[in-house]
Amino acid sequence: MARMKFLCDSDRCIECNACVTACKNENEVPWGINRRRVVTINDGKAGERSISMACMHCTDAPCAAVCPVSCFYTTADAIVLHDKDLCIGCGYCFYACPFGAPQYPKVGNFGGRGKMDKCTYCAGGPQQDNTAAEYAQYGANRIAEGKLPLCAEMCSTRSLMAGDGDIIASIYKERVQKRGYGSGAWGWRTAYRETVDV
Amino acid sequence: MHDGNENKVAERRGFLKTLGLAGGAAAAAAAPAAAQAQAPRPRKETEVEKVAARYRETDHVKAFYRTNRY
Repeated sequence: MARMKFLCDSDRCIECNACVTACKNENEVPWGINRRRVVTINDGKAGERSISMACMHCTDAPCAAVCPVSCFYTTADAIVLHDKDLCIGCGYCFYACPFGAPQYPKVGNFGGRGKMDKCTYCAGGPQQDNTAAEYAQYGANRIAEGKLPLCAEMCSTRSLMAGDGDIIASIYKERVQKRGYGSGAWGWRTAYRETVDV
Repeated sequence: MHDGNENKVAERRGFLKTLGLAGGAAAAAAAPAAAQAQAPRPRKETEVEKVAARYRETDHVKAFYRTNRY
């Protein structure tokens, strides 16, 4: 059985934020929420790296472990989804997630946050596939349409990959064998000479 | 004179109160009924349907893998 994964090749990411924009547009994500974002390390310094982050659809998801109403479930494709009708917006998953994936649409009185929203791997939620109700609550269901998440499909440098974990891992392996990685990658010595190592 | 005025005020307030309550009740009764008539909630997926595999290696997906190998 295929296991759906994201893999960001940080040697290729140019921090264009197209993945972030594509995600927001495709899923009509409300104001104040970014299901995906680009994190830059050593910004402006030699050896700067960017990586596109969203829900990583963990095998043993900590969000699911701490949820007091058990609104999370993992599909047979290893995609972690949640039921917004059950979510009480307590925020436990936000504290448990090592990637900061869960987001909340509101800042209300008495700590009210609204229903949690996160990357669904463009796989919708527990409503019927590709219905208006599913789109309104969870966004697009591209997986049911035989496609992959739009963030990865939009990536111009093919940095962000999505799909069957085994296949994208083999693609990444081919890349590393061909061009190297980090300071061993093609072009690194030209850009940074011998002074920067990763 | 004084007492008469107070009675009038009470009468008017009573009338407004009745009007307000009746209006509110009518709106409360009508609102959910109208909402239900407009948008019937679609059935949610069953426990089995929820976790079913949906990924398929379509031509679209194969093209994505192929372009990633460049």
